[in-house]
Amino acid sequence: MINKAILQLKNLSISFDTPNGEVEAVRNVNLSLQKGEILAIVGESGCGKTVLSQSVLKLLPKTSNIKNGQIFVEGEDITHYKEKKMRNLRGSVLSMVFQDPMTTLNPTIPIGKQITESILKHKRVSREEAKERAIEMLELVGIDDPIYRFNLQPHFFSGGMRQRCVLAIALASDPKILFADEPTTSLDVTVQAKILDLLLDIRDKTGISIVFISHDLGVVARIADKVAVMYAGKVVEMGTAEEVFYDPCHPYTWGLLGALPSSTIEGENLKSIQGMPPVMLDPPPGDAFAVRNEYALKIDYAEMPPMFQITQTHFAATWLLDERAPIVKPPISLKRR
Amino acid sequence: MQRKTRVIQKILKKVAGFVIAMVCLSIIVFYFSRLAPGDPLQSFYGDAVESMSTQELLAAKERLGLDDPIHIQYAKWISNTFHGDFGMSLKYKIPAMEVVSPLIGNTLILGGISYLVVFFLAIFLAICCALNEDSLFDRIICKVGTAAYYIPTFWLGVVLVLVFSINLNWLPSSGAYDFGKSGDVLNRLQHLVLPLAVMVLSHLWYYAYMFRNKLLDEFRRDYILLAKTKGLAKVEIIFKHCLRNIAPTIISIMAISTTHIVSGTYIAEAVFNYPGIGALSVESAKYHDYNLLLLLVLITGALVIISSMIAQSINEVIDPRMKELEAVTWRKRTKTSS
Repeated sequence: MINKAILQLKNLSISFDTPNGEVEAVRNVNLSLQKGEILAIVGESGCGKTVLSQSVLKLLPKTSNIKNGQIFVEGEDITHYKEKKMRNLRGSVLSMVFQDPMTTLNPTIPIGKQITESILKHKRVSREEAKERAIEMLELVGIDDPIYRFNLQPHFFSGGMRQRCVLAIALASDPKILFADEPTTSLDVTVQAKILDLLLDIRDKTGISIVFISHDLGVVARIADKVAVMYAGKVVEMGTAEEVFYDPCHPYTWGLLGALPSSTIEGENLKSIQGMPPVMLDPPPGDAFAVRNEYALKIDYAEMPPMFQITQTHFAATWLLDERAPIVKPPISLKRR
Repeated sequence: MQRKTRVIQKILKKVAGFVIAMVCLSIIVFYFSRLAPGDPLQSFYGDAVESMSTQELLAAKERLGLDDPIHIQYAKWISNTFHGDFGMSLKYKIPAMEVVSPLIGNTLILGGISYLVVFFLAIFLAICCALNEDSLFDRIICKVGTAAYYIPTFWLGVVLVLVFSINLNWLPSSGAYDFGKSGDVLNRLQHLVLPLAVMVLSHLWYYAYMFRNKLLDEFRRDYILLAKTKGLAKVEIIFKHCLRNIAPTIISIMAISTTHIVSGTYIAEAVFNYPGIGALSVESAKYHDYNLLLLLVLITGALVIISSMIAQSINEVIDPRMKELEAVTWRKRTKTSS
């Protein structure tokens, strides 16, 4: 099971050196991703989702360092890979799509050239072959008339089309794992749905594994096989999409699900989780979520909860799952769905 | 066919813009130069002015055309200009064109070469520094560059003369060429080395540092992250992505810096006694030599305007969005007017 995982993070901790001290952005994260699987990482802004994904590609600035833990890609430990070795992996094995398609394309270079650049870097093909492949990629991501559009600069494209182009670039060299860092956040809802369908379609066609990062549980429900909920740099709940959505165990997940407009009863105000995430310069000793948690126990303030296993695939880090804890029912509004 | 007419239209538009800009420039300079306190007759007649009677002075003014109201003076001047007559130099008492023409070549050689060297080195240094950002190399270059930039030019010139001409006796200390050797390339080059060194050292770091920071700014853009995820190395990203995107900035800065070619040579010319028009411009303003001053300003102005037009055209090719922008504003303008 573990050997088959295409991506595996073991006890990964990442910290940043800042003038005010060390900030732990990611703390002891364990994750694994199988071939062809879509893993969604959800959480509030600043919980470490992006840092986690960029750390695998080693795109983080020099002030960051991997404090602890290992990263395995296709069974190989890449934790200490140097820039040169990483360059061979980027594009061909690991790839990434970013949040804002308006700024992630180089404005002065035609789309086609931006795609062939990646192909020529990793494959031993001629320019003509690379062009053919790029046009194929544009077709795959659903750009009409790719032969004409091959020579156009990004400013001729709409936001949704640009995101498709970014996807084409990311997929051009047949990567094994695609990190999609909030790829639909800056798009409107109809375009968002189309891009999600496209991602699913591409997964089915190419068997690529996708790490999908989002703060939008609605989007995640549509696409993910597995879900990991992150809070303050830690994975607090992890399981298959069904488990996390229908049988959430962590109070934070309850809060997130409760904050969805669809789970609000008509006539009531939208729910929200009270308070703000903690400042990671000086993380609290116990459960970082405790201060915002209405179900918090005394032990939550003192000791970090371990990962409790609920089923074969479902884990959650909350003391509520301990044998000695009082039995707490999740909020009713969640159950009603 | 349509494309051809569009190109012709565009060229005509540029030429019209050029003529209008030159006329405006000449009006401003014509008027302002006459506002400056001082007596142009002094430079024409020298100390003889002191002993002239009032009548003689009036006659002299009339002879030089200085008694007319200023707009009539300007009308006369500009109509002569279109015939290629730029008027007499009051100081040298020969046509202004004849004063400038033997010197302009020297200045263009010194200014042109220093301009090319400055920008070539600036871009080269900027790339080297940007590639090794915050490394020891980058830091040393930054410190040395800043220090060198703040050395006063005239002092540096004198020190260079002292070391290389007087102590080591390697290079000549003044002039553009030895007497009777104006066609000897090697001799001219020898005379060029020191003024060139001064010119380059005094301008280089200003541009190099600007370009370095521009490159690094560009390197922090979002699209660089995508380029990195493709597996491109930093060198490739700098050359293929960043440099291309800041090229319009570099070209625009180069265009407005062409003034250095003709007028920026003043200090080097003064220190090395190099015969050029940089020193001449200052002299012409000092001695109220209106016609000479106007001619020199027009040469500088024409150079700047033409080079910025060329720069604009090049930039449109590099970044088509600029063309688009122009087209959009043009459409808006025509829409509101109709």
